[in-house]
Amino acid sequence: MTSFQRAAIRFAVPGLLMTVLVATTSVANAANWKLDLGKSKLGFSGTQTGMKFQGVFTRYNAVIEFDPDHLDTSHIAVSVDLASATTNDNQRDATLPGKDWFDAAQFPAATFETSAIRRKGADDYEAVGTLTLRGVTKPLTLPFTLEMNGTSAHAKGHAELIRSAFGIGQGPWTTDQWVALNVGVNIDVTATRAN
Amino acid sequence: MQRDYSTRRYTWVAIILHWVMALGIATLVVMGLAMTHLKLEPTRLFELYQLHKSIGITVFLAAFLRLAWRLSHRPPDLPEAMPAVEKAAATSGHLLLYAFLFALPVTGWALVSASVFNIPTVLYGIVPWPDLPLLPTLDGKAPVEALLKLVHAYGAYALMALVAVHAAAAFRHHFITGDDVLMRMLPHHRQLPAVPSPTKEHSP
Repeated sequence: MTSFQRAAIRFAVPGLLMTVLVATTSVANAANWKLDLGKSKLGFSGTQTGMKFQGVFTRYNAVIEFDPDHLDTSHIAVSVDLASATTNDNQRDATLPGKDWFDAAQFPAATFETSAIRRKGADDYEAVGTLTLRGVTKPLTLPFTLEMNGTSAHAKGHAELIRSAFGIGQGPWTTDQWVALNVGVNIDVTATRAN
Repeated sequence: MQRDYSTRRYTWVAIILHWVMALGIATLVVMGLAMTHLKLEPTRLFELYQLHKSIGITVFLAAFLRLAWRLSHRPPDLPEAMPAVEKAAATSGHLLLYAFLFALPVTGWALVSASVFNIPTVLYGIVPWPDLPLLPTLDGKAPVEALLKLVHAYGAYALMALVAVHAAAAFRHHFITGDDVLMRMLPHHRQLPAVPSPTKEHSP
């Protein structure tokens, strides 16, 4: 595959996924929200040889239909370009999209799609859904807090994943000898109501 | 080509390259032994491997400079009084040393390229350095990596032995034979007495 083809797939696949997700969820009547990417951060954390590191994905998007009063029709679908991970370490950043880790050439995007959003307290919610990563789909519950401010909403949440459940880290990396199996996902996003 | 025969010393560039590479190689040897023989904590071990790769590639690149300089700048002649067999030994020893300056980094580079860890090399954490072709995509990398590891390790031991002989010869020239063979590679402000003609002039 040429690098042009890889690039085309990298951008086309998340785009297609978003289109499909939008098409299948357009019947819902909760408000549409648009991510403000400038004020949002999709981060992750890991531990390499005992040292914790933080990273972010620089390319991602979400289709958000959310109404705190109509959670049954609320729905969130997130798509993350796995080739966009940066951790402030050139070597690690060159490693992550590789075959042993995200294998971004074959699995360009990670997706999270909710099946239910539940209210747990005044500003506390949890998004129950499935995460698809490196071709493996697993249930994931993401607790988050939400501050609504007119047409703006700010959500913060954290989830823990076991990377080996998704095949992230192949060969000598399948154990936690060098890189811990536990990884954190940190979301800190701002969205604006679109309608 | 114009050459300067007025000095018995190596050029400054040759002297700097020689000692910087000597320091680099000594560091690589100590690191390599520590990496393979000490029980280090994973962070330290990982960092040592990355730095070993960076210094190793630096020495490898310096070897090209060194060879280019050596081919374009005639080194001072060996002392006239040296027996022919010693001169031949010196010449072949230096040839071997040059061969190792290229061969040993290449075995290390091959080893990294065939590694099952698939860790990209980023020199000093800044400059990406590619793997060698073919090796990264081999089906059974583990045995190839194991073999290359042996080649790299025994190559390093052979280089250590060669350097020991090289240093012993330099000391012998200085302390026993009493010629200027060691001095002409040392950074020294005072010029060694110039040889008026490259033919005669024997040490007393």
